[in-house]
Amino acid sequence: MAIRVNPKLIDDLERFGAEDVKFCYHCGDCSTVCFHADEVYRFPRKSMRYLQMGLGRKIETTLEPWLCYYCGQCSEQCPREADPGETMMSLRRWLISRYDITGIARLFFKSLTTEILAVIGVALLTGAFLLFYGLSQGNFSIYDGEGAFLPSHFIHSFDLLVGACLAVFLLINAVRMWFFVMVRGTSFPVPWWLYPKKLYLMVWHFFSQKRYSECERKRNTKVFMPWIVHLGLMLGYVIMLVLVMGFVEKLQYGPRIIWPVHIFGYLATIGLTIGTIYFIRNRLIRKNYVQYKKSHSTDWVFVILLFVIVLTGISQHIFHRTGLNEFANVTYIIHLMAVVPWLLRMPFSKWSHLVYRPLAMYFAEIRREALKRQGAVLPAYSY
Amino acid sequence: MCGTNIAKMVDVESVAKFISTIPNVTLVKTYKYMCSNPGQEMIVQDIKQNQLNRIVVAACSPNMHERTFRGALRTAGLNQYLFEMANIREQCSWVHDDPVEATKKAMALTYAAVKRVELHEPLESISVDMCPNVLVIGGGIAGMTTALELADSGYLVYLVEKDSRLGGNLARVDLTAPYLYSARDLLTERITRVFNNKQIQLHLQSKVTSLTGFVGNFTANIEKQNGQESTGTKPIEVRIGSVAVCTGYKEFDASRVTHYGYGKLPNVITSFELEKMIRAGRIETKEGKVPQYVAIIHCVGSRNVEFHSYCSRVCCMTALKYVHEIKSANPASYVSDIYIDMHAFGKGHEEFYKRSSEVKTLFLMYEKGDRPVIHRAGPKDDCEMLIEVNEKLSGELIEIPADLVVLMVGMEAREDSAEVAHLVNISQDKDGWFIESHPKLEPVATTTDGIFIAGTCVAPKDIPDSVAQARAVAARILAKISKGKIEVDAVYSEVDENLCSGCRFCNKLCPFSAIEYDEEKRQSHIISALCKACGVCVAACPSAAIKGRQFSDHQVLAQIDALISKIEYA
Repeated sequence: MAIRVNPKLIDDLERFGAEDVKFCYHCGDCSTVCFHADEVYRFPRKSMRYLQMGLGRKIETTLEPWLCYYCGQCSEQCPREADPGETMMSLRRWLISRYDITGIARLFFKSLTTEILAVIGVALLTGAFLLFYGLSQGNFSIYDGEGAFLPSHFIHSFDLLVGACLAVFLLINAVRMWFFVMVRGTSFPVPWWLYPKKLYLMVWHFFSQKRYSECERKRNTKVFMPWIVHLGLMLGYVIMLVLVMGFVEKLQYGPRIIWPVHIFGYLATIGLTIGTIYFIRNRLIRKNYVQYKKSHSTDWVFVILLFVIVLTGISQHIFHRTGLNEFANVTYIIHLMAVVPWLLRMPFSKWSHLVYRPLAMYFAEIRREALKRQGAVLPAYSY
Repeated sequence: MCGTNIAKMVDVESVAKFISTIPNVTLVKTYKYMCSNPGQEMIVQDIKQNQLNRIVVAACSPNMHERTFRGALRTAGLNQYLFEMANIREQCSWVHDDPVEATKKAMALTYAAVKRVELHEPLESISVDMCPNVLVIGGGIAGMTTALELADSGYLVYLVEKDSRLGGNLARVDLTAPYLYSARDLLTERITRVFNNKQIQLHLQSKVTSLTGFVGNFTANIEKQNGQESTGTKPIEVRIGSVAVCTGYKEFDASRVTHYGYGKLPNVITSFELEKMIRAGRIETKEGKVPQYVAIIHCVGSRNVEFHSYCSRVCCMTALKYVHEIKSANPASYVSDIYIDMHAFGKGHEEFYKRSSEVKTLFLMYEKGDRPVIHRAGPKDDCEMLIEVNEKLSGELIEIPADLVVLMVGMEAREDSAEVAHLVNISQDKDGWFIESHPKLEPVATTTDGIFIAGTCVAPKDIPDSVAQARAVAARILAKISKGKIEVDAVYSEVDENLCSGCRFCNKLCPFSAIEYDEEKRQSHIISALCKACGVCVAACPSAAIKGRQFSDHQVLAQIDALISKIEYA
């Protein structure tokens, strides 16, 4: 059965950042320079072809965009300035919007105004709620302990509520991704036991981001900068999430420093701070790496929010330890006004790739193994 | 010796020693490169010092260096025809691997050449006057360019066009690729100049019905036509010295490719039909709607063994031109370009191709033998037709929505090209294109002296190439005119009037139409300027009345006798 071509999809993808894919004339240079393309997963050329032809259903079921870590080699090599790296990035954005059942992600990617309004709205709601709660029961000049403006047991419950929302959305999206890729997109049988067998890959890729580090081989430097910074940022984020969800009462306890808990907080803060500064700097200078040449508006919303979170997080910690409780309360409210939209936005933004990337590696290896069991003869390297 | 080319297989010193024993041989010399300047000078000196009257050079093929050595003879004051070459390279050293046998063969070949040259007679080349008038057949861009170039140089040109208007196929085109210049602008200027030029005698709706004579001295008849029919008016007889054939091409008949449904599906049209729409100012379907999806299919009739295996060269860029024209007429439309390979060979073409990508053309590639198939779409589809194709760059079987399908029809030789070829006595290749005398070094000359070809009657080509050829033809003709005389090689065949019975056998056999029949004398006569000395008539004449100069019976027989004589080659 012939697949219907949709010449309109390329217009749609333009809003997701794929502005230059129209230039591609399929020489295949990009796929030959890519470290990650192999005989089963061929990209970026093939993904670009599907996009040009508007085979949306086909792209939806592919994993290739997730297997690319945007080293930018392909874009540097491209003889027609079709920017395959940015096209893969745009496809990831588009996939996020496809996995998202609510349609919010699509709205955010296509309209900066909507996103900013949503962020400001959630921030104001959060602020109003916290102020209302604090004023109704606490004392503005007490930060923790008896009569605190925002008591830590309340913050704990509040965090868990936000975390639950986040988890529900992410879980639904992950299930949709699994359905697209492993059910709709896999025409051959996949034995159930491959799922537990390959599970370790998800954990491994989540914590190591090994494939990202492989992208750095092309630069011949000893320290793989973007990878290490990215890893630090990600680990900082995860540690902070765990601390906030499980240990917020200990974290807020003071003014004494509880080292077994706070040491993790400090480490996470270092990771987040360096990451934030590094990415803002690179996006502003835009020189060193192809992947920072074009920033989508959603990228900026993310870094700016993160910057506010890091800044207010550090200040409220200092204010609290130095006894400036009023300042600590104000910065804390601002901190939470940034944290809540930032967290709630995650399933609808690029930052959901925290979940999709390890999942993609996991699914990719399951499929590869299932294919091998089929005894399928893989075509020789023809990208 | 030709360096080691001959010497490594043939013992040239033994050959020289053997030849020196033959009667009448005065002097034998070997030299490393006889064709070099010192080699030729040596020959000149030896002729002068020893009063030599016949020369044999045993070396390469006469094709390669006969002219060179004839030149040496002339320099030395000896008639250039008192010369013979023995080919001991191509016909000996290069093709044998036994040095002893090869040396013997070289001796035999050289000996035969000596025996032949003894019978050579001094011959004089003749020269005839060159008539400066020119006949140009075809009033397209190539024909008009040739005519204007010659007329502007002050010579009289007869420009004959079959149609009632000038411009040819280019007049059916709106814009040109890749710079999107208006074809009308290109033509109008030329047409006006042709009409206003006193040196151009324009014959519209006319045909050349006969051409006789030879280079510098042709006579042609131009007849007024009414459609295909002759009008019965008396043909005009003109005297000319050269002919430029610029008869152009015709488009491939798209209905021959049955599964494109041309002629059956109303919105499948040819590129020329689209041109018509564009010139009328509106691209629309037969129902009068603006098409949302337009598909362009390349190589219709071209690059396919079923129809024409050659590439028509202009269609790729013309298709891209349509992309721009369709997009600018209706920016909301989607254009699919279904091609085999994108041939963007010319100046500005690759850039034009990239600009076509910029307007988001969907380029889809199909395999040569695996043509797309056009179906009518169903009632639920948002398009008229669906084109099914195995898309090569994705490996997917796809269907492409289309409201209007444009078939890029290729170029083919005109149906009257055989008639024209016969009229002016030139050859055609298997596809009907006229054949150049050399595809690389003589691209506008033909095997008949004085007949030149330019433009798309030679092979598919674009406007710049056609114009370049047209100007090349003009340059070639002007060179001949400025020389004033035509030198004719002294080697040609002659009819002995005392022996010719007028049977006219030879008239039909001559591949160069060089033999005339003299009704009054009832005898055949060879036009020496047209004769290429192929010898067909000499062999065919039942009365042995035709003699080939420099190839007379006794000369050739002496050579053969020498070759088969039983001589001990020591």
